[in-house]
Formats: sequence, structure tokens, C-alpha cells
Amino acid sequence: MNTSQSGIHPRHGLDEVIHAPVRFSIVATLAAADKAEFGFVRDTVEVSDSVLSRQVATLEKAGYVAVTKGYVGKRPRTWLALTPDGRAVFAAHCQALRAIADTAADR
Amino acid sequence: MAEYASKDAMAALARAQELRSTVRDGTKWYAWYQVIFGGAAAVMVLSIGLISRPYGVAIGCGMWVAVISGLSVYAARQRVARLGFQRRHASLIIVGGLLYGGVLSAGLIWFPGVVAWWVPGALLVALPGLIGGYLETRQ
Repeated sequence: MNTSQSGIHPRHGLDEVIHAPVRFSIVATLAAADKAEFGFVRDTVEVSDSVLSRQVATLEKAGYVAVTKGYVGKRPRTWLALTPDGRAVFAAHCQALRAIADTAADR
Repeated sequence: MAEYASKDAMAALARAQELRSTVRDGTKWYAWYQVIFGGAAAVMVLSIGLISRPYGVAIGCGMWVAVISGLSVYAARQRVARLGFQRRHASLIIVGGLLYGGVLSAGLIWFPGVVAWWVPGALLVALPGLIGGYLETRQ
């Protein structure tokens, strides 16, 4: 018996913070890495510095992303990484997405 | 609406897969890192084992310090580290160190200058880096 048959639609498993497209892309990028530099995430997700900063602040506030600042030589660098909580929530979110995709495939 | 949501879900999953591939491409640098690490360890073992003292030790250790310094700078400049990087890197250092210590200790005590010991020993010491580099490209 799948979740839709039991009356609980898999969309209830989606995380509201991650659901926004840009934040989803940021988290999906970080989920594939131990850590990534701010500029790498910006270029990969294809957003501006300010948009990324804003979305990362939201993810950091939710406890999903950890931000570390440091230097490489004299250059300041900002590193982003998923927290264990963020990793677990993203895995659950993807599972919900798969369940939603599967319900359509079952029709 | 449900149909629309399922299309959204599939698009999001496809996007996540695409981003994972991009990140994976960005972490390929670690394959080179491991191969160079393994190669340098092998050259150091050969130098210490087959070139007379103190030149062999000086050449081997000098080359090793230069290579590790270069690799450290190279690693620090990279923009992304693979998932499980710290664990993989710690394994490389520990396994490489144990093999290096074993080959060097036995070689210096029982096989000084014996090519038949030092060449296979150098290959053995290079293996963690070479295998790690190979696995990294196959990820």
C-alpha cells in the first residue's frame, strides 16, 4: 500500500525551506560535496552573490547549512557545507519527490 | 494539479542529478592529487633505498617536502571537496604511511641497496595513491 492510498500524500514529506527552487539547488549542490566555496555554489546554481547570500542565510537559520570563513593566502574565502540535519532533511525531501514522481508513474 | 506536481518532482530530481554531476566534475582534482602523492612516495622510497647516503635521503626527502608543499597549495586552492573527502584523505595518509614505514624499515635493516626489494617496495608504497586516483576517476 502506498502513501497516497493510505491518505497521506507524499507532498507532506517535502521540506518547506528546501522546496524553493534556488534553495533546493543550493542544497543539492552541497549534498554532493563535503564543502564548497561560495563562488563555486554561485556559479553552479547560476545566481548572483546577493541572491546566494540571502538564500544561504535562510538555510543557515534553519540549521541546514554551515558557513565557514577563512583565508587562502591573503584571499578571504567563504565555505558552505550541509549540516547533518540538512543532509537528513534533503534525503527525506528527495524521497518525497521520488514518491510523488512514482504516484504519477503508477497511474 | 497532482499531474503538475509529479512533473515538478521529476524536474527537481533531474536538477539534483545534474548538480551532482557538476560537483563531481569539480572534485576530479583529487584524482591527480592522489596519483602525484603515490608517485612521489615511490620516488622517495627508491631514492632512500638505492642512492648512497646521505644523498639518497637528502634527495628523497627534499623532493617529498617540495611535492607535499605543492600538493597542499593545490588542494587549498580548490573550490570544492568531494563527499567523504576527509575520510578518504585520512585513509590515504594512514595506509600510505604504514606501507612506507614497513618498506623503509625492512629495507634499511635487511635489504640495503637491493633493487629486488626497493623497486617492488616503491610500487607498493605508490599503490594507495594510484588506486585512489583510479577510483576517483571512476566515481
